[in-house]
Amino acid sequence: MDFPSSLRPTLFMTGPLGLSDVPDTSFMCSWRDALTLPESLPQNSENGAPHLAKGLLWEPDTPGPLPLLPPGPDPWEPGLTAQDLLFRGGPKFRRQPQAVLDVTEQFSRFLWDHGDIAFSSLGKLMLENFNLEGPRSYSKKKTVVSVKRILEDLGGHQPWGCPWAYFSHRQRRFSILGDPILGKSVSSLLGELLYEELATRWEQLLLDDAFTGGALAWLPGRTPRVRQLVYPAGGALDKLYFQEVCLTPGSDPRILGKPGHIQLRGPVRQVVACTVQGESLLAVRSDYHCALWKVSSQGRPAPLQVLKVEKGATGINLSPHLPGELVVCSRSGAICLWTPHDGLRQIYKDPETLVFRDPSPWRWADFTAHPRVLTVGDRTGVKIIDTQGPPGCGLLLFRVGAEASCQKGERVLLTQYLGECDPDSLQPTLHLICTQFSLYLMDERLPLVPMLKWDHNLPSAPLLARLLPPPRPGCARPLLLGGQGGQLQLLHITGEGASTPRLAGPPQSLPSRSDSLSAFPLLEPRSHWQLQERLQAPTIGLAATILPSSSSPVLSLFQLSAAGDVFHQRLHLREDLGPPSAPMASWSPQATACCHRWLTALLKVPPAPSVWAAPTFSHRHLLGFKEQQKVEGKVPEGLREAMAQGRLLHQRDLGSLPTTEPPPGPTLGPKDELSERLEAAWEGPVTAWWEQQRDRTSRPGRQLKRPKRRTQLSNTFSSLSSHLDLSGATRTPHSQDWTSPVSRPRSPVALPSQELTQDLWAQGIPSERQQTLRDYMAKLPLQGNTPEGSSTSLSQISSTQAPPSTQRTLWDCAAELSSHRDTPGGATLPSSQTSSIWATPSRQQVRGLSGSQPHRKKPRMGF
Amino acid sequence: MSDFSEDLLRPTKEDDPAERSVRSCSGMRLPWLQKHVESVLTRGKKEKDFAQTTSACLSFIQEALLKHQWQRAAEYMHSYLQTLEDSDSQKRQAAPEMIWKLGSEILYYHPKSSVETFNVFADRMKNIGVMNYLTISLQHTLYLLHHGLLDDANRNLSQAETWRYGEKSSSQEALINLVQAYKGLLQYYTWSKKKKELSELDEDDYAYSTASQNMFSHSWKTSINFSALIQTPGVWDPFVKSYVEMLEFYGDQDGAREVLSNYAYDEKFPSNPNAHVYLYNFLKREKAPREKLISVLKILYQIVPSHKLMLEFHRLLRKSDQEEHRRLGLEVLFGVLDFAGCTKNLPAWHCLAKYLRQILMRSHPAWVQEEWDSRKSWWPGFHFSSFWAKSDWKEDRALAYEKAFVAGILLGKGCRYFRYISKQDHQVLRKKFKRMKKLVKKHSIVNP
Repeated sequence: MDFPSSLRPTLFMTGPLGLSDVPDTSFMCSWRDALTLPESLPQNSENGAPHLAKGLLWEPDTPGPLPLLPPGPDPWEPGLTAQDLLFRGGPKFRRQPQAVLDVTEQFSRFLWDHGDIAFSSLGKLMLENFNLEGPRSYSKKKTVVSVKRILEDLGGHQPWGCPWAYFSHRQRRFSILGDPILGKSVSSLLGELLYEELATRWEQLLLDDAFTGGALAWLPGRTPRVRQLVYPAGGALDKLYFQEVCLTPGSDPRILGKPGHIQLRGPVRQVVACTVQGESLLAVRSDYHCALWKVSSQGRPAPLQVLKVEKGATGINLSPHLPGELVVCSRSGAICLWTPHDGLRQIYKDPETLVFRDPSPWRWADFTAHPRVLTVGDRTGVKIIDTQGPPGCGLLLFRVGAEASCQKGERVLLTQYLGECDPDSLQPTLHLICTQFSLYLMDERLPLVPMLKWDHNLPSAPLLARLLPPPRPGCARPLLLGGQGGQLQLLHITGEGASTPRLAGPPQSLPSRSDSLSAFPLLEPRSHWQLQERLQAPTIGLAATILPSSSSPVLSLFQLSAAGDVFHQRLHLREDLGPPSAPMASWSPQATACCHRWLTALLKVPPAPSVWAAPTFSHRHLLGFKEQQKVEGKVPEGLREAMAQGRLLHQRDLGSLPTTEPPPGPTLGPKDELSERLEAAWEGPVTAWWEQQRDRTSRPGRQLKRPKRRTQLSNTFSSLSSHLDLSGATRTPHSQDWTSPVSRPRSPVALPSQELTQDLWAQGIPSERQQTLRDYMAKLPLQGNTPEGSSTSLSQISSTQAPPSTQRTLWDCAAELSSHRDTPGGATLPSSQTSSIWATPSRQQVRGLSGSQPHRKKPRMGF
Repeated sequence: MSDFSEDLLRPTKEDDPAERSVRSCSGMRLPWLQKHVESVLTRGKKEKDFAQTTSACLSFIQEALLKHQWQRAAEYMHSYLQTLEDSDSQKRQAAPEMIWKLGSEILYYHPKSSVETFNVFADRMKNIGVMNYLTISLQHTLYLLHHGLLDDANRNLSQAETWRYGEKSSSQEALINLVQAYKGLLQYYTWSKKKKELSELDEDDYAYSTASQNMFSHSWKTSINFSALIQTPGVWDPFVKSYVEMLEFYGDQDGAREVLSNYAYDEKFPSNPNAHVYLYNFLKREKAPREKLISVLKILYQIVPSHKLMLEFHRLLRKSDQEEHRRLGLEVLFGVLDFAGCTKNLPAWHCLAKYLRQILMRSHPAWVQEEWDSRKSWWPGFHFSSFWAKSDWKEDRALAYEKAFVAGILLGKGCRYFRYISKQDHQVLRKKFKRMKKLVKKHSIVNP
C-alpha cells in the first residue's frame, strides 16, 4: 500500500484541550484543503487550479426527497420537545438563558393524571384509618376519616384538572391529616424518579445515540438491478422489513411486491449489511440483543446467531474482510468479537473511557485494514487494538485533545472504517471520525494526526455516514454525512495513490425531508401540522448507491425516518463549471401525485392517542352508586365522535336532525373559521366553565331534564357527559372507518374490575410509556392484599408482570395488549364499571378537540 | 458560540427540584442546545435586532455556500460585515476571523473573482483583526502559491515575517516559524530552478560561476528559515525534504543526517512513517552499511508493516548473514500480506512463495510454523477460500499460481485453494503446476 509521500504541514501538540497556546493551523477553510504544495518545482503549479473540479456538484432532480413506500399503519407520535421538558419562566435579564427542567409542572400533572399511582399505595398503608362505610365516627381525635363522606362531597367525581374545585371542610381536614405523609413521601420518592426520568429525556432529546450508525441497509437481491432495502418499521420499530427495489439510472426506483418482514422482540437500532467473498450478511442491533442473518443469493435471510447483551448494546459492525465476523460493543465497556469459528470472545474491556473521564457509556468498535486489528472508540477517543496481542494494550488513533486541535467540549459521536470499498480510489486505511463540530479523516498508519479536518456545522448530531464508490473512475468519492435532524451533507474526497486524502471541491448540502413540504397540497392546519411533524421526524437511517449512466452518474439516496418512512431522492453529477445548465429543480406532476397519494394514506392512519386520560378509582362501584341513565340521540353521538377525532361536525354527518330547531350557536361557515373560533373558545375560561357545568349536570337528579334543553351549542356539549353508551353500535356510518383509539369499544369481560381498569388504561398509552409506568408501580411499596382495595391490582401486576430484571422488551407489553384487543367487542360492560372507566369522558373529548390546534399546548407527562 | 454548559454545571439550590439546573456532568458541548433552550424560554434575555439580523445573515451565507450559490453568498456577505460593529465584545472579536473564513471561501470559488480581488480582500482583513495577521498572511501565501505567483507570495511572507504585535506569545512564535519555513520553501523553489538551469549549463561557461555563486548565497538564508520550525513538533515533510536536498547538495551530509534523525527519532514528534522513509532513502544514497539500513527499516516495519518498502526490507534481510534477520524476513512478508490492501500484491506473494521454498529447503520449518500459528485461524478464510480461488484464477493466473503454492505449503494439498487451482487444466502452466505439486508434496508443513 502506498503511503502519501509528503504529508501536509501540521503543528503537533500533545495534551488536553486548552492548555497549550497553539494556533490552529488547520484553518478550516474548505478551499485551503484543496491546496496542495507543489512537489518540487513551481513551474507546473499553473496546472493546480484547473486540476480542481470546482464545479463538482450533485444536483437534485426534485427540490426534496419523495416518499418511496406508503406510510405504515401504526400511528407515530413525535417524542418530547424542549417545550415539554424545560421551565418556561425563568428570571428576567439573565445574560444567557438557562435550561432548567420543569419538574413542578410535570409533577403536578402527574399527580392529577396518575393519582392512583401516586397515592393508592399510601392509601393502602393508611387503610386502617379509613372508614369506608358505617356510621360516623365520634372519636375526638378524629384520626379516622369517613371515605364515604369525602366521596360524597366530591360529588362522585374527582375534580380532575379543575383548580376551582370546591373543598368541603372534611376534605380540608383530610388533607391536613394526610399532608405530612402524602406530601412528603410522594414528592420525595416520585420526585426523584421523575427528575431522573426528565433528565434522561432531556439528554436524549439533545443527543440520542441509540441510532448511531443507522438502521437502513442494502442487501443484494436476485439480480444486480434488483436489491433489497432492509429497514425497521412499525410503531415500535420492531419489525424488520425486506423490500425489493429495482434501480435503474433512467427512472425513479420501483418497488417490487410487498416487503417481507421479521418480527423482533425489541426496537431495531442499527442495521448493518456486508457482502464479503460473495456471502451477504445482515447484522441487527436492538437495545439488549444483536442478531446475525445470512442472506442467500435469492435474498432470503436465514438466522445464524442471536446475542444477548446484558448491559445493553451500543454498536455492532460486520467485518469487511472475513465472512461472518462481527464486533459488538456493550455499555459496560466490553468489546466482543464473534466469529463462526470461535463464537463469542471478549477482546477488550474497560469501563473507563480512553483519554479522560467521561460519564457516557457509549462504545463503538469497527474493523481496520488488518482483519485482526480493531478500533475501539468512546466519546473521548479511538484506540487501535490487536485482538491477538495481550489484552488492554493498543495505540490511540484519535484523541479529543490538542493533537487534532479539538474544541472545548468536543466529543466523538461516530467512528467508521472507510476501507470496505475498492482500494483504487482511496487508501483502505482511512477512518472517519465525527464529532458535534467537525469531521476528521484519520489514517491508521499515522495515528493522532488528522489527514483531513472539516467543520460540518450541522445543527444536529452527525450519526450517519456513508462513503460511496467513485461515480466514474478517477472521480472524487462522495462521502454522505447525515445529521439526526435530517440534514444531509455531501463531501467529495480524493486521495488516490501516494497523495493525501483531501476535499475535491467545496462540500454541499442536500435537501432534507422537510424540504418536500412544498410538494404536498395545501392542508387544513391540523393535518398540515401532522405532516410537518412527520417530515421532521429524526433521520435514523441512510443508504445510497451510485448508478453508472452514460450521460451523467446518478446518486440514489434513501433515508429512513424514526416514523418508519423511507424517502428517496435522485441526484445527478454536474462537473462542468459555469452557470447551471438547467433551471432549479422543481416538482414534476408525478412527484406531486406521489406525495398526494402518500399523504392520503397518511391521513387515514388513526392519530396516536395523543394524551393519555387518567384512570379513576372505581369508588362508585364500592359505594354502590346508581346506574346512570342513558340518553339516546344522534346529535350527541355524532358530536362526541367528531370531538374525539378532532374534526368538524357537519350537518351532513348527523343526517336528519331529530329536532326541528337548528342549534343557534356559531353558524356552520367555512371549516377553518369555525375551528378557529372553537379553539379560541376552548382555550379560555370556557373550559373551566364546561367542567363545572359537566359536574353539575351529571348529577343524577338533573339528567332527565337535559334532552329538552338542547337549544345552545354548549348545552349540546354538556349533554354528552351523561351519554355513556360506548358500544359503538349506534355509530354514524362516517365514523366507522375512523375508529380512533379514544372511542374504540373497550374490552368487555367479567374480569375483576380493578384488573380491568388497569389494563384498559394501558391500552391508550404508547407502549414505551407503559414500561416506565410499570416501573414506577414496581417501585411503590405495596404490601398486603385486601379484597376490595384498588391497589390490589397494582401490587399484583407489579409482582406478576414486572420481570426480575429491568431489561424487559416491549414485546411483552404488546403481547398483553393484543390479547385484550382480540376479545370480541360489542359486549356491554356492567354499567358500574363503565361509569368508572368513563367517569371523565368529556375531558377526553376536550383533549381530542384541542388536538386540532397547530401547537401542542400542554406538555405531557414525561414518560 | 456561547458557552452554555458552564451555566449548566453551576450548582443551584438543591432543595427545590424545579430550580435545579440540568445535570450535564459530561462537559460535552452541543451546538444545538441553545436552539432548544431558546425555543422555550421567553422571559430570558431576548436577542437584539442587530444580533438577530446578523445571525440570520450568517446562516444564509452558510446555506448559500453549501449550495454553491457563490453570488448569493457574496450578496449576503455585504450585509454581514455589520458584525464588525457588534456591541458584544466577544462577538466583535471573533468577527474578523469569521469574515475571513467566509469571504475567502466565496472569493476562492466565485466564478467572477480574480487574484486581485482576493489580494485586496486579504490585505484589508489582515489589518482589521490584528490577531489574525499571521494566519491570514499564511493562507494568502498559499493562495498565491497555488496560482503560481511566487514573487507575490514571497513578498507577502517577508512582510509577515517582520510583523510583531504586543508581547511575543508562543502561538505567535510558532506562526512566525511557519511563515519563515514557507519562505524557505519558496527559496528552495527558486534554488531548484537555478539548479536545473545550472545542470544545463557548461561548467566552463562564464554564466556558470555567477549562477553557482547565486545558489550558494541562497543556502545560508534558507537553512535559518527551516531550522527553527523543524525543531517544533509537527509534520514537516515538504520542509524537511527540501532542506535535506539543499544540505546534501552543499555536501553537508552530517547536517542532513542530523536533521533527518531528529525528525525520525524525536519522541515529541508524531510517529510519521515518512520521517523514516526519508532517513532510509538518505542512507541509501549515502551507501550506508546494510545493518544501518535494516535498523531504520525495522522501525518503519513496526509502525507500518504494510509499507511499500517492506519488500525491499525483506530483500535486505534475506541477504543478511544473521539467522535472526533471515527469520525476520519471513515475518515481514507474512506481515505485508496480513493487510486487506495487499491481498492481491503479486510481488509479495511471489516473494513469499520463493522464500518459503528456500527456508523449507534449508529446513527451518519451525520458523514457518511459528508465523503460521497465529494466522491459521483466519488466513484460510481471508486468502485461501474457494471464492478467492475462483476469482483469482479468473483475474490473475500468476497470482493464483503463487497463492496456490503458498496454500499448499501451509495447509497441505487438501486445501480448497490448492485443489481448485491445481485442477485447472492450462497448457502453458502445466509444467509449472507439476513442479508445484511436487514441491508441495515435499515441503508442506502439514503432515499427511
